[in-house]
Amino acid sequence: MKKKSFFSRFYVVLCLAFFYLPILVTMIFSFNSSKSLTRMTGVSLRWYSELINNVEVARAVYVSLSIAILATVISTVLGTITAIGLSSHRKIVKDIVLNVNNIPILNPEIVTAIGLMLLFSSAGFRKGYLTMLLAHIAFCTPYVITSVYPKVRSLDPNLANAAMDLGATPFEALTKVIVPMIKEGVFAGALLAFTMSFDDFVISYFVTGNGVKNISIVVYNMTKRINPTINALSTIVIVVIIVVLVSVNVFLPKLEKRTDHIHPRVRRGVTIFLVAALCLGLIRCGSISSQNHVLKVYNAGEYIDLSLLDKFQEEYNCTVVYETFESNEMMYTKLASGESYDVLIPSDYMIERLIKEDYLQPLDWDLIPNASGLMEEVMDKSYDPGNKYSCPYFWGSVGILYDRNIVDQADLSEGWELLKDPKYKGDLYMYDSERDSFMIALKALGYSMNTVNEDEIREAYEWLVEQRDTMDPIYAGDDIMDNMISGNKAIAVVYSGDASYTISENPDMDYFTPNQGTNIWYDAMVMTRDCSETDLAHAFINFMIDPESAIANTEEIGYTSTVKSAYDAMLDGTYAEISSYLVDDSDPRNEIFGYQDPKIKQKYAELWTKVKAQ
Amino acid sequence: MSNKLIELKDLTKNFDDQQVLRGINLDIYENEFLTLLGPSGCGKTTTLRIIAGFEEPSSGEVLFNGIEISKLPPYKREINTVFQKYALFPHLNVADNIAFGLNLKKVDKSVIAQKVERMLKMVGLEGFEKRDVTLLSGGQQQRVAIARALVNEPKVLLLDEPLGALDAKIRKQMQFELKKIQQEVGITFIYVTHDQEEALTMSDTVVVMNNGEIQQIGSPIDIYNEPENRFVANFIGESNIIEGVMVKDFLVEFDGFRFECVDKGFEEMEEIEVVLRPEDLDIVAPEDAKLTGVVQNTTFKGVHYEILVKTDLRIYKVQTTDYAEPGRKVGLSFEPEDVHVMYKMGAY
Ligand SMILES: Nc1ncnc2c1ncn2[C@@H]1O[C@H](COP(=O)(O)OP(=O)(O)O)[C@@H](O)[C@H]1O
Ligand SMILES: [Mg+2]
Repeated sequence: MKKKSFFSRFYVVLCLAFFYLPILVTMIFSFNSSKSLTRMTGVSLRWYSELINNVEVARAVYVSLSIAILATVISTVLGTITAIGLSSHRKIVKDIVLNVNNIPILNPEIVTAIGLMLLFSSAGFRKGYLTMLLAHIAFCTPYVITSVYPKVRSLDPNLANAAMDLGATPFEALTKVIVPMIKEGVFAGALLAFTMSFDDFVISYFVTGNGVKNISIVVYNMTKRINPTINALSTIVIVVIIVVLVSVNVFLPKLEKRTDHIHPRVRRGVTIFLVAALCLGLIRCGSISSQNHVLKVYNAGEYIDLSLLDKFQEEYNCTVVYETFESNEMMYTKLASGESYDVLIPSDYMIERLIKEDYLQPLDWDLIPNASGLMEEVMDKSYDPGNKYSCPYFWGSVGILYDRNIVDQADLSEGWELLKDPKYKGDLYMYDSERDSFMIALKALGYSMNTVNEDEIREAYEWLVEQRDTMDPIYAGDDIMDNMISGNKAIAVVYSGDASYTISENPDMDYFTPNQGTNIWYDAMVMTRDCSETDLAHAFINFMIDPESAIANTEEIGYTSTVKSAYDAMLDGTYAEISSYLVDDSDPRNEIFGYQDPKIKQKYAELWTKVKAQ
Repeated sequence: MSNKLIELKDLTKNFDDQQVLRGINLDIYENEFLTLLGPSGCGKTTTLRIIAGFEEPSSGEVLFNGIEISKLPPYKREINTVFQKYALFPHLNVADNIAFGLNLKKVDKSVIAQKVERMLKMVGLEGFEKRDVTLLSGGQQQRVAIARALVNEPKVLLLDEPLGALDAKIRKQMQFELKKIQQEVGITFIYVTHDQEEALTMSDTVVVMNNGEIQQIGSPIDIYNEPENRFVANFIGESNIIEGVMVKDFLVEFDGFRFECVDKGFEEMEEIEVVLRPEDLDIVAPEDAKLTGVVQNTTFKGVHYEILVKTDLRIYKVQTTDYAEPGRKVGLSFEPEDVHVMYKMGAY
C-alpha cells in the first residue's frame, strides 16, 4: 500500500511540475539582469521598469482588462438568459441549440477567428475596439451557456411558477428565484468567460485593427526578438489571475450567503465602473478617427525603431496606425480578407505576388527625393523590375552562423555541406522553413532555388533527409537566436540580420554565406491600391529612407540598411566587426525567391513535412 | 351552498395534436372543498394550471367572480397553489419562503413577521423560522408550502396531489389537517388527487374526470352510491358491473332475470349497465337467492371476507363478514335500492 501511495504522489508531483514549471521559468527569468531567456546572469527589475515605461503595453493592459470585463458581463447576461429560456423549450429545439452552441467551443479557434473577421469585413465594421469586444462576447457566450444550462436543468420547473403564483412578475421570478439558484453556474461561466477573454490571442488578432491591441497581441509581437519584458508582462498577468482565482475561492463562499444583500452602494459602484470602462473604450477608438490624416502601416513584428513613428507623426501632424504581422502569408490573408492598409512592408516574393494580383499602386518617385541615397545594389530586382511599386527597406542574405571556438575555419569552404559534416553532428539548428531549407539543399546541389523541376526537387528532398538522418539537426524558429547567444550549439542557419544581432550579443559567433550561393532577400515598402492618403504614404516612405531615420532604424533592428550612408556608417562604426551586416550579392549563384505556383508550393510543403516527420 | 366563485365554461386544451381537455364545464363555490379525481393523465393538473394561470385554455372561458380571467397572468390572480413537489425555494429559509409573497407586496416587516408566525402556528411548525427548507421532512415541507400559499390570503387555494409524496400514515394525518385548515380559513380549496379514498373523505364535491372529460360531479355519497357510468363505478371502489336492459321504470333485466330497482327515467328496453357493490351483496341459502353460484375463492381481508362466487354467466365479488368455504353452492341476494342502473358507456 505504501508503495502505491508513493507512486501516486510522485505522479501528482510530476503532473504539477509539467503544468507549472514553464510558468515558474517565465517568472524567474523575468528577474534576469541580462537579455538571455535561457541563462540566468543576475537578478534585477530591469524588465519591469522597461515594461512600465512602455506605452504600448500600458494601452494593451487597458484594452485587455476593459474588454475582458465588458465581454464577461455582457456574455454572462446573454448566456444566462439563453440557458434559462432554452430550458422551457421542447427537446428538439434544445438539442439543436445546444449542439449549435457547441460548435464555437469545439471549433478550432482559428476558424472562428477568420469567420468573425470576414463577417466584420463584409458588414463594413471599422475594426478595432468594438469589433474585438463583439468577437469576445460572441466566443464567451457559448461557454456561459454550457456552464449555466446544467444548473437550470436541475431546477424544479415549478419554481418559477411558484414565484409567479405568489405574485412575482416574470422578471422578479428570474431575479429573486432562478438566478440565486443558478448563481454558481453563472459565476463559473463568468469566470470562464473572463479568463477566455483576458488571454485570448487568435480571435483578437484577426478581428482587431487600427492599432487596438490586447496583451496577447503585444506579447506575440514581442516574441520575434529576445525581449524579456514578455516575461515580466507574463508574470504580472499570472499574478493577476492567481489573485483573482484565490480571492474568488476565498470570497465566494461568503458571497454565496449574502448575494441578496449586496449593498446598493457596491452595486452602484460596479455599474459606474462598467459604464466608465465602456465609455473609455469607445472614446479610445473614436479618438483615432477624429484626426485628419491617418496612415495605416502594416509591417513585420519588431521590424522598426518605434520612435521613428512618433517623430513622423509629429513632423507631419498625422496619426500612424501601426500594425504588425508574423509572416508574409498572414499579411496576405488579412489583406485578402478586405482589411485596408496604406503602406505594407512585405518581402520580395510576396511583393511579386501582390503586384500580380493587383493589390498595389505604383509609387511616384518624384515624391521620394531621398531615393537618391538608396544603394544601387538593392534596386531593380526581379520581384519588381524598375522599382515601379516598391522602395527597399532592409535586405540581407541567408547564411550560417557558427561558433568560432568550435568550428574549424578550414571547414567553412564546405559551404552548405558544412551542415552535413559529421564532426558537428547534433550540434546544429536548421531553420524551420520549407523554402529556406530547400534553398539550402538546392544550392548545395548546384540547382536554382526557384526550380520547378521535379527531379531536382526530389534530389533536394533526399539531401535534406540524409542530413536529417546523419546529423540530428534541430528544426527551430525564433528561439535559435537566443540559443546561439547562449552558445548552446555551434551551427545555425539564420538570416543575416538575426546573425548581426546575435554576434553583437555574443562575439564568439560569426557568420558566412556559403560559396554555392544563397538567398538574397529584400523587404520593401509598397503602397496599396486602396491607399487614399497617397501623399502621406509617399512622405512616410521618404521619411524611412531619410539618412537619419535609416541609421536609427538599422541600429535598433540590426538588419542591413538599403540606404548607402547608413550602410557605410554601420560598417565603419558599431558593426565593423560584424560580417553579416555586409551583404555580398556579387556571387552570380545568389538568387531572389520568386513567386511560387500554388502547386509547386504544395509540393515543397508536403516534402518538408516528410523531412520533419522522421 | 353560497356564491359561485369560479366557472369553467367549455374549456378545451390542446398540446400539439393531442386534446387533453375536451369541454370542461364546472362551477366552483365559495368555501367549497372540491376535488378533481381521475386516473393519471386525465387532465387534472392541466385544469388546475389553467385556473392558476400557468396555461391558457385553447378555447372556453374561466370566470372568477363573473369576470373572464383566462388571459390574466398568475401573479395577478387571487389564487395560490400548493405544488405537487412543493416547489419551495431552496435558497431561502422557512420564514423567508413563507414571506416571499408578502415581501413582493412590500408589506411592512413587522406585519410580515407576525403573519408568518401565525401561519407557522396554524400548520404546526412553530419555531421553525430559521430552518433550511431542504433539510425538512416531506410532511414539514408540505406544511411550509401550505403556509406559503395561505399567508397571502387567497380566495382559492389549489392543491395538486399535495400528499402524493408522503407515506401512508402521515398522509392520513395531513388529510385530516388539511380539511381542518380549510374550515379554519374558510376559503375554497380545489384539490387534485388520483386517490379515490382521499377524495371521498375530504371533499364537499368530487369531480370525476377521465380522458379530458368530466364523468360525474357530486357529493362523495352520490358519487359512491349513484355512479353515473361504468368508469365512475369502477374508479370509485370495487364493483360488479353487469350489462342489462331497462325493461321499464323500476324494473331491470340482467343475467336472464328481472329485478326490482329504484331507478327510472330510462327509455323502455334501453341497454344499460348495472352496478352491484360487493358490500351490498349477501350470501344466502340457494333457495332464498336471486342468483345462484358456487364459491370459487375466499380471502380474509381483515374486517370482512372477499368471496368470489361463480354463476353461470360471470363471477360476482362479495364482501361479507360471513365465511363461506370454496366449492359450496350458495345464493346471492340484494335489495332493490342496491341495484344502481347507469347509462351504458361507449368504449370501456
Ligand atoms: N406541457 C405539456 N405538453 C404536452 N403535453 C402535456 C403537457 N402537459 C400535460 N400534457 C399531457 O396532457 C395530458 C394530461 O396531463 P395532466 O393534466 O398533467 O394529467 P393529470 O394531472 O391528470 O395526471 C397528459 O397526457 C400529458 O401527457
Ligand atoms: Mg397531475
